[in-house]
Amino acid sequence: MRVVVDQDLCGTSGQCVLTLPGTFCQREPDGVAEVCVATVPQALHAAVRLAASQCPVAAIRVIESDAGNDEHASADPAPSPAEAERHAAKDQRNPGGHDGTV
Amino acid sequence: MDVQEATAACRDAFAELASPACIHDPYPFMRWLRECDPVHRAASGLILLSRHADIYWALKATGDAFRGPAPGELARYFPRAATSLSLNLLASTLAMKDPPTHTRLRRLISRDFTMRQIDNLRPSIARIVAARLDGMAPALERGEAVDLHREFALALPMLVFAELFGMPHDDMFGLAAGIGAILEGLSPHASDPQLAAADAASARVKAYFGGLIQRKRTDPRHDIVSMLVGAHDDDADTLSDAELISMLWGMLLGGFATTAATIDHAVLAMLAYPEQRHWLQGDAVGVKAFVEEVLRCDAPAMFSSIPRIAQRDIELGGVVIPKNADVRVLIASGNRDPDAFDDPDRFDPARFYGTSPGMSTDGKIMLSFGHGIHFCLGAQLARVQLAESLPRIQARFPTLALADQPIREPSAFLRTFRALPVRLHAQGS
Repeated sequence: MRVVVDQDLCGTSGQCVLTLPGTFCQREPDGVAEVCVATVPQALHAAVRLAASQCPVAAIRVIESDAGNDEHASADPAPSPAEAERHAAKDQRNPGGHDGTV
Repeated sequence: MDVQEATAACRDAFAELASPACIHDPYPFMRWLRECDPVHRAASGLILLSRHADIYWALKATGDAFRGPAPGELARYFPRAATSLSLNLLASTLAMKDPPTHTRLRRLISRDFTMRQIDNLRPSIARIVAARLDGMAPALERGEAVDLHREFALALPMLVFAELFGMPHDDMFGLAAGIGAILEGLSPHASDPQLAAADAASARVKAYFGGLIQRKRTDPRHDIVSMLVGAHDDDADTLSDAELISMLWGMLLGGFATTAATIDHAVLAMLAYPEQRHWLQGDAVGVKAFVEEVLRCDAPAMFSSIPRIAQRDIELGGVVIPKNADVRVLIASGNRDPDAFDDPDRFDPARFYGTSPGMSTDGKIMLSFGHGIHFCLGAQLARVQLAESLPRIQARFPTLALADQPIREPSAFLRTFRALPVRLHAQGS
């Protein structure tokens, strides 16, 4: 598993750092979140998905395959809650797509 | 008369929230709203969302499906903005900005609110907490009543802000006296005299910050104001003096009354549910769970003070929110929604034991700090103040009790207090 933070989206709330301080950190000059590990150890997979689903601005992307690319992630037959969250967020950005009914 | 009868003809939820019954206990009315009118359209045209799922969605969609008002639209959403200093200052705060301006301005101040920076403040917060409790002890030990709201809950965030802003304590106490008036003036249903009182207080804050900015420019220190002045002077286009004053004004407004109210609510929870005090006597995980549950049960800011403007017609629960409608979210109601939090009126810190901050064991988000791009900048600062306070209050004054009924501020917008009189139980009683 790999995890990336979209630094343009990051809202600097630091919630991911509180959830997983060893995996995420904040840049000193502006508080933007960064991933401080190359790959996520198996034991932390669930916690990383949780951090992604909790990010207030959905800036954390989890790439499940180690070979990792977006297609692999979206083609996952059983998307994690974090991914479902991310796709929902994407839909909301698509005008006319999601009507907001929940 | 039951709640349903009383409110079946509710034309304006904002007016109802200001009623004496709701000031006393707003939650029965919020339950009615969630069940009967979850996408409420007030007489003024404002839309109010009260279900957790709808609020959560709207907060996440801010910047996409919803936007802040453009500068040219201020008069449309705030008809009195032309003559009101407070509304003009509000319009320049971070909370009213959209990306990319919002992103740029927020990052300027984010460096002082990183988790590491807030952690660095822990020792000084702990010192302030201990000193304030020491200050209350003699009177309490003589058997006298002490106003915990004024002496502790309000004093702590003020002193922490004085440190962050690099301000003398007396200056901060002077400024803080006007904060309540400003907050009330910003409520959508504020009367003209309330708005005038807010503007008078805002003028004092603005003049003070104008002077403070000048002092920090000639004599910079390690504080937020000096840092922002530096960022401003490096690039004059980045942050005008007016924007800088608005940002400081916004931090002052967002940080005080809300933190104080949550400390008050936490102490009331300790007194009301002694069987839950064990959470404050163990490790940090238990303290965190108690703090999150206090924040969930009593959101200090009951609804959003800034407009979220629909970018298009949005259908929500069978109701069409028209394009350009001003949508507000009733955060305090979302936190009590049984679809998100089982048995929501029960105070139960176990919901947040061992979880990520702000997330329940069921994966639901506690809404008091908001969500999305405007997520509270000071969330962690508030959490640390609470976490450093509550176990110390518990340890120092284990026999703390109410001396009299707490007095609430009669506000529809903020669930805050005017006084919280406490005393110690007599030994052996």
